[in-house]
Amino acid sequence: MKHTTIALALSLTTALTSGAFAADVPAGTTLAQDQTYTYRLQDEISSLDPQLVEDTYGSGFARDLFEGLYNQDGEGQLAPGVALSHEVSADKMTYTFTLRKDAKWSDGNPVTAHDFVYAWKRAVTPELASPYAWYMELMSIKNGAAIIAGDKQPDELGVSATDDHTFVVELSQPLPYFDQMVTHSTTFPSPKWVIDAHGEKWTLPENIVGNGAYKLTEYVLKERSTRVRNDMYWDNENTVLDTVVALVIGDENQALTRYRAGELDKTDTPAGQYPTLKAELPAEAIAVPRLCNYYFSYNLESGPEAFQDVRVRQALALAVDRKVIVDQVLQGGQFPAYNFTPAATAGFEVPEIDYAGMTQAERDAKAVELLAEAGYGKDGKPLSFTYLYNTSESHQQVAIVATQMWKQKLGVDVSLENQEWKVFLENRGNQNFEMARGAWCGDYNEASTFLDLLQSESGYNDAKYNNARVDELLAAAKSSENTTPLYTEVEQILAAEMPVIPIYHYSANMVLKEDVKGWPLNNVQQKYYSKDLYKVAE
Amino acid sequence: MLSYTLRRLMAVIPTILILIVICFFLMRLAPGGPFTSERPLPPAVMKNVLERYGLDEPLYVQLWTYVKNIIIAFDFGPSFSQKDRSVNDLIAQGFPVTLTYGFFSAVFVLVMGIPLGMIAALRHNSFWDYVMTGLAIFSQIFPNFVLAPLMVLLFTLALGLLPGGGWNGGQWQYVIMPAVALGTSYMASVARLTRGSLLEVLNAPYIRTARAKGLSERTILIRHAMKPTLLPVISYMAPVFVYMITGSVFIDIFFSTGGIGQNFIDAAYTRDYSVILGLAILYSVLTFVLTLIVDLVYAWIDPKVRSGLK
Repeated sequence: MKHTTIALALSLTTALTSGAFAADVPAGTTLAQDQTYTYRLQDEISSLDPQLVEDTYGSGFARDLFEGLYNQDGEGQLAPGVALSHEVSADKMTYTFTLRKDAKWSDGNPVTAHDFVYAWKRAVTPELASPYAWYMELMSIKNGAAIIAGDKQPDELGVSATDDHTFVVELSQPLPYFDQMVTHSTTFPSPKWVIDAHGEKWTLPENIVGNGAYKLTEYVLKERSTRVRNDMYWDNENTVLDTVVALVIGDENQALTRYRAGELDKTDTPAGQYPTLKAELPAEAIAVPRLCNYYFSYNLESGPEAFQDVRVRQALALAVDRKVIVDQVLQGGQFPAYNFTPAATAGFEVPEIDYAGMTQAERDAKAVELLAEAGYGKDGKPLSFTYLYNTSESHQQVAIVATQMWKQKLGVDVSLENQEWKVFLENRGNQNFEMARGAWCGDYNEASTFLDLLQSESGYNDAKYNNARVDELLAAAKSSENTTPLYTEVEQILAAEMPVIPIYHYSANMVLKEDVKGWPLNNVQQKYYSKDLYKVAE
Repeated sequence: MLSYTLRRLMAVIPTILILIVICFFLMRLAPGGPFTSERPLPPAVMKNVLERYGLDEPLYVQLWTYVKNIIIAFDFGPSFSQKDRSVNDLIAQGFPVTLTYGFFSAVFVLVMGIPLGMIAALRHNSFWDYVMTGLAIFSQIFPNFVLAPLMVLLFTLALGLLPGGGWNGGQWQYVIMPAVALGTSYMASVARLTRGSLLEVLNAPYIRTARAKGLSERTILIRHAMKPTLLPVISYMAPVFVYMITGSVFIDIFFSTGGIGQNFIDAAYTRDYSVILGLAILYSVLTFVLTLIVDLVYAWIDPKVRSGLK
């Protein structure tokens, strides 16, 4: 009996044992004299305020300047941040985080549970109007949605500090991946006294106070910014990089030229240049799986009548030769996709999908057969529709190749229409399309971040797909211990009904100088922390 | 002259107001808004965001608030895409950058273009004339979007002399390539204009008179031929200069200078309404002021024009 109690206690308390929460420098490594790391930003970041930031580059800044409850290690696993461990209540509705006592803000103040309480309430305050308030809603924190809607006061949010080092979160429903979600920048603490003193100007370099491994010393809009190590950071001793410089360079080819000239340590690989760069700089050109998918979405609500026939949807999906798109068109180490969720997603097992195992010739034969059965195609009624995508060279290439395959194999006529990004979003969001390009990057590393897109009520369900069984399974997955059978069934239903055509899963393409070590290549969300990087002497 | 200047300046205000109204409504005609995103915001979040920026008000109220804030507080509103910054911040940051390299570019155009044109005219049909004309044509057929990458390949990648981009507080190494890339084709035009103009002036009867009086070629050139030669150059340079310090979008993006041109493009794509409006106002005020200055310079040089400015 006693035994069981201990086992139970162990299962409920998660103490993080991951070792990699600082630069993990192997013994005997000679570090470079100059520990300055310079990288390219494609665009200026949206904000330095952790509760307001909404872009991935900006989140990178937030992870350096602030530290949340947990960090991610090089594998994407949880590593201690300000929190050392947490306990989950028996009903899985209350999380109690134990915070470290040595965490300090860059002005010397201690980091306490109250800073988290303040920041989390701040994130849902209607007056702050953070676009990322939706993330807090997704975390299912008690009263979160009502506060955002203006029906309750921010003080009623289900977060509290029982003492300076104990942070308690109450949920409105169990959420198995809740602990994964606290690595996100929206949940980082913010310094109330600084925000009170400076208002909206609190993130200027002369005002900002953070609790991360770095502090901001220079910020020139749309040009450059500099972070230097924060002496107050609790693990400053194990931080190696002294300075992190981010340069805003819009043109990807120009960025590559500057990388070659030695002005940058890391930049993105321009579209289509991965094979050339891999041949030229084998140790520097990198392609690793990334948690994003790319698909074609049917409009099942107001699209062509033919799309209501599952055989038509199947036929079009079968006839796309994904290997050609991945290997001949994109050439960046992407992965052909036959199901929606990327294989790299944590805890996700790629289910058996019939057509994934066929040869392309078999798929093509079946496609012709299905389309003929439906009464369309070469000997039936003509099928034609418009494919909508946002203006971009690589989207265009994918569109041309896919529609050409449909034309040749099935005799289907597709006209292409490209639109500027926001016009495209507006039309796609209002079902003002027949077939449209879609893509999604995971908000957290769990399959529901993808599959929820096809839940009938989802605001991102552009196909307007509606299947009660899928909704039921996805709802069950929210509180299930073993999600694999549920997700497998969802994926198999999707493959059978084909509301969207999965095309490929992304890879992250970059060039990284050989002397930069510690980049988390196995972290599929590409969540890096500058404190984990170091430069070796060449 | 003074009353003329004042009158011209007074005309700026109604023009700018009309421009604000037109721009304001044109922007709203474009589909999508600043908060349209791939991840559509839930309605409650969207409502809070729109309320925060006053975008939930009727359009005419928004327009009135915007104009009022400019007049009362010289506040051009918040940026939606750079949430910590205002339009005033963006302009204060980017405009000095563009102004700096635009200015040096104009200096480069004049300091190189005029002497080149004069040498070609004075050594008409000689070897030097052909060299200059060849050089001018060569620079003209290289638009800046061809020249800039070539310069970077040569000076950054091959020779390692200059940084391939950035601004770094405006250190000279960072200014050279943007200024030269921006100015080269204008420099060629100025050289050709100067050459043609000087050739024409040198054939004018009053120059023959000056020669007959026994004045040295040098005195004739500097005292008598210079001013009329430069007239077409000045009228050419007026719009070019405005363009240089405002609209060098390509240079800003290619060299990542952080200049104002980059903001214009970004703001259009992100529907950052107040940034677009703020920049449109800035551009038009600049256009007004610079053309006025050019007109005044023109009047100073040309007595015929001066007498017309009453």
